[in-house]
Amino acid sequence: MHIDLKKEVAHSGSGRFGIALFLLIVILAIFAPLLAGYDPTAQSPVDLESPSLSHLLGTNHVGQDIWSQLLYGARTSLLVGLSVAFLSTLLSAIIGASAALIGGLYDSIVMRVVDALIVIPVIIVLILVAAYLQPSLWILIILLSLLGWQGGARIVRAQALSLKEGMHVSAARSFGASRLYLIFRHILPDLSPILLVELIYSMRRAVFMEAGLAFIGISDPNMVSWGMMMRESLEFSYLDVWLWWLLPAGIALSLTIVSITFVGHALEPVMDPRLRGEASA
Amino acid sequence: MVRMFSKRNLTIYAIALLLILGLNFLLPRMMPGDPLMAIYGKDALVQMTPDLQADLVERFSLDESMWQQFGAYFVALFKGDLGYSYHFNEPVFDVILGRLPWTLLLVGLSLILSTILGIVLGIESGWRRGSKTDKTMLGGIMALNGFPDFFLGMVLLLVFGVSLGILPLAGAMTPYSGLSGGALVLDVLKHLLLPLAALTLAHLAGGYLLTRNTMITVLKEPYMLTARAKGLPSRVLKYRHAGRNSMLPVITMTGIWLGRVVMGELFIEIIFSYPGLGYLTYEALLARDYPVIQGVFLLGATLVLAANFLVDLCYPRLDPRIRHAH
Repeated sequence: MHIDLKKEVAHSGSGRFGIALFLLIVILAIFAPLLAGYDPTAQSPVDLESPSLSHLLGTNHVGQDIWSQLLYGARTSLLVGLSVAFLSTLLSAIIGASAALIGGLYDSIVMRVVDALIVIPVIIVLILVAAYLQPSLWILIILLSLLGWQGGARIVRAQALSLKEGMHVSAARSFGASRLYLIFRHILPDLSPILLVELIYSMRRAVFMEAGLAFIGISDPNMVSWGMMMRESLEFSYLDVWLWWLLPAGIALSLTIVSITFVGHALEPVMDPRLRGEASA
Repeated sequence: MVRMFSKRNLTIYAIALLLILGLNFLLPRMMPGDPLMAIYGKDALVQMTPDLQADLVERFSLDESMWQQFGAYFVALFKGDLGYSYHFNEPVFDVILGRLPWTLLLVGLSLILSTILGIVLGIESGWRRGSKTDKTMLGGIMALNGFPDFFLGMVLLLVFGVSLGILPLAGAMTPYSGLSGGALVLDVLKHLLLPLAALTLAHLAGGYLLTRNTMITVLKEPYMLTARAKGLPSRVLKYRHAGRNSMLPVITMTGIWLGRVVMGELFIEIIFSYPGLGYLTYEALLARDYPVIQGVFLLGATLVLAANFLVDLCYPRLDPRIRHAH
């Protein structure tokens, strides 16, 4: 049952590629102020300029430097992705594990709510709520987390249930191990691979949703976002600007999502060991 | 035991529906400021007269307790009254009804296409696991999966619509063209092609990856060996023995994916100005036309719930093992 995650990812070509790409994006985001050259929100009188040495990707409709916007956009995407992944996985772990370990009426009530939340289309709820609240970045992160834990909770619960009945746990119990000892020593460590996979998939979902919501105009006006860049550039699709405005933003977002997907796919044998042996593909 | 299965399901859907109705009712009423503004949106205030205001307050029982308000809301819903849109100057029900066919056409076709394509490609790829075809297909589809649907849509629009100029840029048909019969169908299809392609490509990956994974597992089953030993042709092995069993998870997942399709649908309609429910949501968001946003929310959420419910009902019929499992 103990799975070596590092080996799992290192053995997979796409997993290594995914991690390298993701780290590159993280580095670009961290050093954005050094690499950008301009304040991404500062407007200049030269709008819709073509790429040049002073503006690597030209300027947008209000004269903002697109290269700088692209770098700062990575910060927004990663901030939302990582925060939501962490918060919603935490919720999944607490709710799923407690349902499995406490059981009884609590378990059935929690699982009915989880099932109900799974069939509700999250994006429609988000749009309705956002239409009223017009969320700031942090409110958006909280909303995405509150609507993103249900699938993970179900997986965590199933895993915790089978762990609870596992041979090594019964053995420890028969030696007189306390409940807390069992939870911290046996159940939580064995849940960690599943939680990691859950973390990666929630991050992917969150990055995607943030960009999508920004694309339809639901975003923090103080933050630069790739989704927002794409929406703004679409209005100028009749000009050539889309080549250095829309495409870089779309490609940056796609590469971020691809890198997360590849890491997740390399970890999939953790969820389903029957697939093992192909991770080297 | 089949009955118990569906009773549990009914509870889930009842909870889900209640959550949706509750959210729809409570959100506008909990907003600070004038509830009429929150319920009726920006355009209503422009036309507001004391008479109209009194009329609206009475209609929503806004001067009564929360419970009576909820009762009034519920009764109105039951009568199919979703309110009046002051932005479109039409009852919300009629606004939505006018847009619904386009969305159903686009979502329905793309769902069918992406499911069939995903299953067939998944079967072929899993059958040849590890081969060059499999690796290329897997890599290609995973990369495609990384493109957000709206980016895919925009690239298709810019390449085929703007640069090459061979397909229309916006709308669902040529306005005021007076076309009829075959020419009209052709015109609608031409407008449908790009959004349909974008949506189908974006949703191909889910079904493909799932089918491929199940296929790999199924191929190791003893009955596959038996079937092969009987000397059955590989086409029969692939599709009748392995393929049929690999389809099941895809069908269960379709209901859950529907939520994602709704999202893709929204973006794609906005990009191609396709006059369905997604584009309507966008227009309503821009105009802060709350009755329409609420109406679309209610309809969209209920449709997804209903589709999930249908999948749940069909599943035991497709996989007899489920019927005996409980």
